[in-house]
Amino acid sequence: MIEVQNISKHYQHGGKSVAALDNVSLQIASGEIYGIIGRSGAGKSTLIRCLNLLERPDSGHVSLHGEDITRFDERALQQRRQRIGMVFQHFNLLRSRTVAANVRFPLELAGGLSAAQMDARVDELLALVGLQDHKHKRPSQLSGGQKQRVGIARALANHPDLLLCDEATSALDPETTDAILALLADINRQLGLTIVLITHDMRVIRQLCDSVAVLDHGRVVEQGKVLDVFLAPQHAVTQSLLAETGMGQGALQGVWRQRVATPVIKLTFVGEPTLQPVLDKVGREAGLRVNLLSGTLSEIKDTPFGQLLAGVVASDVDVSALPAIFAREGVRCEVL
Amino acid sequence: MLDFDWNLLLDIDWVEIGEATLDTLTMLGVSMLFTVLAGLPLGVLLFVSAPGQLRARPRLYAVLSFLVNVLRSLPFVILLIVLMPFTLLLVGTSIGVAGAIVPLVVGAVPFFARLVENVLREVDRGVIEASQSMGARLPHIVFKVLLPESLPGLIGAATVTAVALVGYTAMSGVIGGGGLGDLAIRYGYQRFQTEIMIVTVVLLLALVQGLQSAGDSLVRRCRFD
Repeated sequence: MIEVQNISKHYQHGGKSVAALDNVSLQIASGEIYGIIGRSGAGKSTLIRCLNLLERPDSGHVSLHGEDITRFDERALQQRRQRIGMVFQHFNLLRSRTVAANVRFPLELAGGLSAAQMDARVDELLALVGLQDHKHKRPSQLSGGQKQRVGIARALANHPDLLLCDEATSALDPETTDAILALLADINRQLGLTIVLITHDMRVIRQLCDSVAVLDHGRVVEQGKVLDVFLAPQHAVTQSLLAETGMGQGALQGVWRQRVATPVIKLTFVGEPTLQPVLDKVGREAGLRVNLLSGTLSEIKDTPFGQLLAGVVASDVDVSALPAIFAREGVRCEVL
Repeated sequence: MLDFDWNLLLDIDWVEIGEATLDTLTMLGVSMLFTVLAGLPLGVLLFVSAPGQLRARPRLYAVLSFLVNVLRSLPFVILLIVLMPFTLLLVGTSIGVAGAIVPLVVGAVPFFARLVENVLREVDRGVIEASQSMGARLPHIVFKVLLPESLPGLIGAATVTAVALVGYTAMSGVIGGGGLGDLAIRYGYQRFQTEIMIVTVVLLLALVQGLQSAGDSLVRRCRFD
């Protein structure tokens, strides 16, 4: 369990004090993938650097598995950091070292392993990220995706209990992004490793994360399970971030209500009902005829979900009775 | 130059030229060695102590930076004279090749240190941050990150410094340091023996060219792509 308690961080900018983080608190369960999303300047980068104290908060505490690392002295902190992996947007590999030597670097820092043990561990890590064949290459000879795989192997070298990803896929093309996200999901499953990532891309959150916090102007404006936040975004920033990736319907709802005279219902399917012909079934039973206005069918991590907006053209029952009928089929229905 | 009698080249005292070449190479080699030994740590210290850097010590940095600037602004000829008592104390003589090495080192160290500082500033901050995130301590960062990552730049800086030292050695004649530059001034300039001047200038040119090509090829060999 990672606990961030009331951390604040201010920067001096042109004689004025600007809050990068304003009383932020988070609770991150062991083994989960926790996403922090926000626009640039929201404070994500500062927040993730507070988790290994590359940035020191002005106030507040950061506890990793019950240890308050803000109380650690420099030496203890350096020791602790060896077991916190970090992956960067621009990879930050050592140009002067080969792939294998880059992965070996954190092992050299930690000490305690013989040369042969280090080599064995490096081979193991390169196999994990699928780079055995590129062992002796320099970073400059690798593609972006391969560089990030080296970055991930390096971050895992000392058996970390926490992996921090700082916009790890933001510099990669969409296909490579998918491959890296799949690798991270795989590592999370295989090693049970807690992953905290920051991103500005809702797709990364949808594909990878269990929980999410939305950051805006240094404050957490919304947090919860990804599914809940996606299906019922509360804050305007969350809604607009979802809308930009084509996953929000907030804006559309307004447009449809103006144009469509019939009552409009919003149906939300999560998990099993997504795979059942619920609309067809209810349509027959309740004489419901609908006009589909917009809809999404997708997956959040491994859970299928759907959300439909429909105009009620005809119905044997009163529209207000529909939520109860849909609820029996495991589908949430709201009359808008 | 058109009426230059090329036969004069035959009368040149090649033994003296040889000795002068050896003197220049000795002064260059020894002073370069000490310049790197002292200038590299000083450059690293300047880099890490600068405001906003790894071990920011703004006051220490200001003092070091000022001293470096003072030594760099002194004309080398003045430095040669001013340092004579110090040289005598340090190596037992303030004249000759041995006497010249001390002012050469004192003149070149601040120059080289400043170059080193600038080269280290080019190291990607992200890479330094990454090593901090892995728990690297300052010595780790210096020896495993800063110096290896900037090796091509450091070799470049050493080459520039060596070439500057060749220029400095020419002035060491003032304190009897000898060498090719001294020969060019004494025979070529003061005694109008143009042929000596030509030979020494050609030799100095060859030396500078050689240093530069050697430096460039080393840089090429250790570039990381």
